[in-house]
Amino acid sequence: MAQLLNNDITQQIREVFDGLKNPVHLMFFGRVDNCDYCDDTRQLVEEVAEISDLLSIEIYDLDADADLAEKYNVDKAPGLVIAAKEGEQITDFGVRLAGIPSGHEFTSLIQDIVLVSNRDSGLNPQTREFLKGLDKPILLQVHVTPT
Amino acid sequence: MLAHQMAMESPMIQAEMVEATEFPELANRHGVSGVPQTTINDGKAHVVGAVPEPNLLAEIQRVLAG
Repeated sequence: MAQLLNNDITQQIREVFDGLKNPVHLMFFGRVDNCDYCDDTRQLVEEVAEISDLLSIEIYDLDADADLAEKYNVDKAPGLVIAAKEGEQITDFGVRLAGIPSGHEFTSLIQDIVLVSNRDSGLNPQTREFLKGLDKPILLQVHVTPT
Repeated sequence: MLAHQMAMESPMIQAEMVEATEFPELANRHGVSGVPQTTINDGKAHVVGAVPEPNLLAEIQRVLAG
């Protein structure tokens, strides 16, 4: 397949990723049937991962790797987990994407990688204090469309 | 994305960006008419638009208060 990211975009991303602080691990979940965007999304995230040595990526199948998908609460394909990595240890912060991150959402993908790499939410102290005290699960699903 | 930032702060939070045209059943179930829409706990609350941090936090607090 032809490269999805052109040289200009790749260079821009490289400049952003030059500032990455800590390793980030991407877990891509695809499926063979009924997933129109799986191939493109997989290629896209693989190309992004190649841009920095601090990024690693594993490719999984929603059905063949059902146990892992369940462990990480991934039930849609294409699905992406953006996790922290320290040595061999993967830490899940609950950051997920479902569907192809194109248009404006591609910027979100890059920002999310930076976010996880920073290991810091960047939120206000009051927000942090409240969230740290949470003892019940909260699922936030943000519906977006490609622009 | 604000939701992802919140997920960073607590293991209780999972935040998922969902591309609505690829997952229309979920978008319909959540009554999505304008994007972005943040749906909390599969429909307990909905926030339409890209709202600032205190607004989303207030909705989460409302959901938790039952």
